Amino acid sequence: MNRRDLIAGAVLAASIGLGAGSALAADPVRIGFSIAKTGLFADAAPSQLNAYELWREQVNAAGGLDVAGTKRPVEFVSYDDQSNPGQAVRIYEKLITDDKVDLVLAPWGTPHHFALAPVLEKYKFPMVGNSAASAQLREIKPGYIWFPTSAIPDKIGPELAAMMKANKVTSVALISSVLPFSKEIKSFLLPALKKEGIELRVNEEYPPTTKDMTAMLTAVKKAKPDAIVALSYPSDSVLFAKQAKEIGLEAPFDFVLVGPTMDFYQKVVGSSANNIVTVGHWSPYRADWTKAKPFYDAYVKRFNEIPDHLDSALAYISCEILQQAVAKAGLDKEKLREVISTTTFDTINGPVQFKGVENVSTPTAFLQIQGDKIELVWPASIQTAPYRPKTSW
Amino acid sequence: MDVLLSGQLLFAALITGALYALIALGLNLVYGTMRLLNVAHGDLVMIGAYVAFWGLTLFGLSPIAGLVVAAAAGALLGWLTYLGLFRRLLASPQLMRRLEGNSLLLFFGISVILQNLAAMAFTASARGYQFMDQVYRFGDVALTGNRIFVLVTAVTICAAVYLLLRFHVFGLAIKALIERRDAAVIVGVDIDRVQIAAICLGFAIAAIAGVLVSTTEQISPFMGFPFTISAFVVIILGGLGNITAGLIAGLLLGVLEVYGVALTSAAYRSVLIYGVFIGILLIRPQGLLGRGSVVR
Repeated sequence: MNRRDLIAGAVLAASIGLGAGSALAADPVRIGFSIAKTGLFADAAPSQLNAYELWREQVNAAGGLDVAGTKRPVEFVSYDDQSNPGQAVRIYEKLITDDKVDLVLAPWGTPHHFALAPVLEKYKFPMVGNSAASAQLREIKPGYIWFPTSAIPDKIGPELAAMMKANKVTSVALISSVLPFSKEIKSFLLPALKKEGIELRVNEEYPPTTKDMTAMLTAVKKAKPDAIVALSYPSDSVLFAKQAKEIGLEAPFDFVLVGPTMDFYQKVVGSSANNIVTVGHWSPYRADWTKAKPFYDAYVKRFNEIPDHLDSALAYISCEILQQAVAKAGLDKEKLREVISTTTFDTINGPVQFKGVENVSTPTAFLQIQGDKIELVWPASIQTAPYRPKTSW
Repeated sequence: MDVLLSGQLLFAALITGALYALIALGLNLVYGTMRLLNVAHGDLVMIGAYVAFWGLTLFGLSPIAGLVVAAAAGALLGWLTYLGLFRRLLASPQLMRRLEGNSLLLFFGISVILQNLAAMAFTASARGYQFMDQVYRFGDVALTGNRIFVLVTAVTICAAVYLLLRFHVFGLAIKALIERRDAAVIVGVDIDRVQIAAICLGFAIAAIAGVLVSTTEQISPFMGFPFTISAFVVIILGGLGNITAGLIAGLLLGVLEVYGVALTSAAYRSVLIYGVFIGILLIRPQGLLGRGSVVR
């Protein structure tokens, strides 16, 4: 035997020895997902990604994910879907068939969730959704996808009208972005306003690229409504607040759709944000949701900003649901599907139970910015603070 | 009707127009002197915005001082881009023939790099701060402090550059370069120096515009593209390379947008802007004040 054979033999023996040794450490659970790191939604997706990261760190710090009795560390396999639903579909197919991940988490955005439903059906791979809201989700065949949000347009419309009526609103000015979520809500809000007998004084739409609302808001000011509803997205939500302040709008009830629950909003508009009502069903101040405040504090500590009370909360809830389901059912897909469809989960938002694809435990609710806190003000069943009228911008 | 005649709407139109004019000015300088299609222009605005944001957040630097820092950062970036990428391109006669196409590709690459570096370094979350947000009332007109700041700064810089180009010998050299490159060489203009100055000035102006934008809106790494588009619309509308026309076209676009929306409805904003743009190009392809032929 010459020297080369000796060395080769030694290396072979060593690698076998090492291979045998590593089988003793727990295999990580690989969880795959795509997220919008670039493109149109890139400035909204971080609130979801941060919640995922926080959950992973917390789980690993506690020893790992409980997989039907065995604790295994969590590892993420993630890709950038460039805010493109088609790309998300390709990525999830790759995750399932090529990367062979054990579990999946959801991407950001309603169109992405909808695009994935058939893929999950095809591979019989369950996924708990989060940042998706549309009345169309009721048409998705129950199977391998679930939606924990209660901010669904066909409920938001009537609930908002009811809340305004309960707060003595008799007239409203409505300005709306032409993006799908805003338009969907508007289509359910208009008949609800009629039903509650609230007069619609201004009804305007604007493109998402708008840079100036002077003409529109001057018309709103002239109409002197009791309420102003802005079905806006983050950039126009900021524009609305700033120009409302400049022009001097005076309605006591002001609703802004997307934006106020995000950290940057109050940093940009300052005290104008005070008493703005927005959509959301989670607040850290609900005492009987024992995990809510700890999540809030942990998020603030880790990322130096407040969690988005809508997207970050939902993303974390979807992780909690997955975690509790895996603890019961392990990684078997059909068992997981069974467990997710039937169990009541204990989350930072209280109990969550699905009937079909929809969460039936959480009511459609509204939040209000009150000073440096964001409180739940409607409905009374989960309220954390009473609604306050807006006195100034 | 009284909305249309109101000072409030006039103010809104002036601000929108002034910002368009400022952003287009930077682009026009770079394109006019060197025929470089800077599709990364909006991303330079983004860089300026982040300089102001981090200046305030980390060092407590007021956005007014941020203007100077951002301008310096923009100029530095321009200088590096010129030395690293374009000097050779502009000096070689063969490469000059396909300059616009090559520059489009190069700047596209720069745009992608800038956006993604910013996203990696600062995360893609939207950021923002408040600056001069008290509202001042003058009779019927209410003006937020930061919007006054934007208007005053934009107008000052546009005026300063206009005067530079009109009266200072360096400005005249830039205009000479825009008008006829070969003639400028013959009369002894140092092409290299003028080009560096133009690109540094153009990039610095974009960064300054970014600081102004950051005082009124939130910022994020991918915010640049709409600014690039509107800058191109403005310079094409005015006439490529014609600095004065660019300023007028910017103002015109702002007026069109605000008054057009007031006359019709906010939903028609894009139709108005691009409709008028296409209309003017059909009637006068060289732009409102452009020359009959584009010098290549």
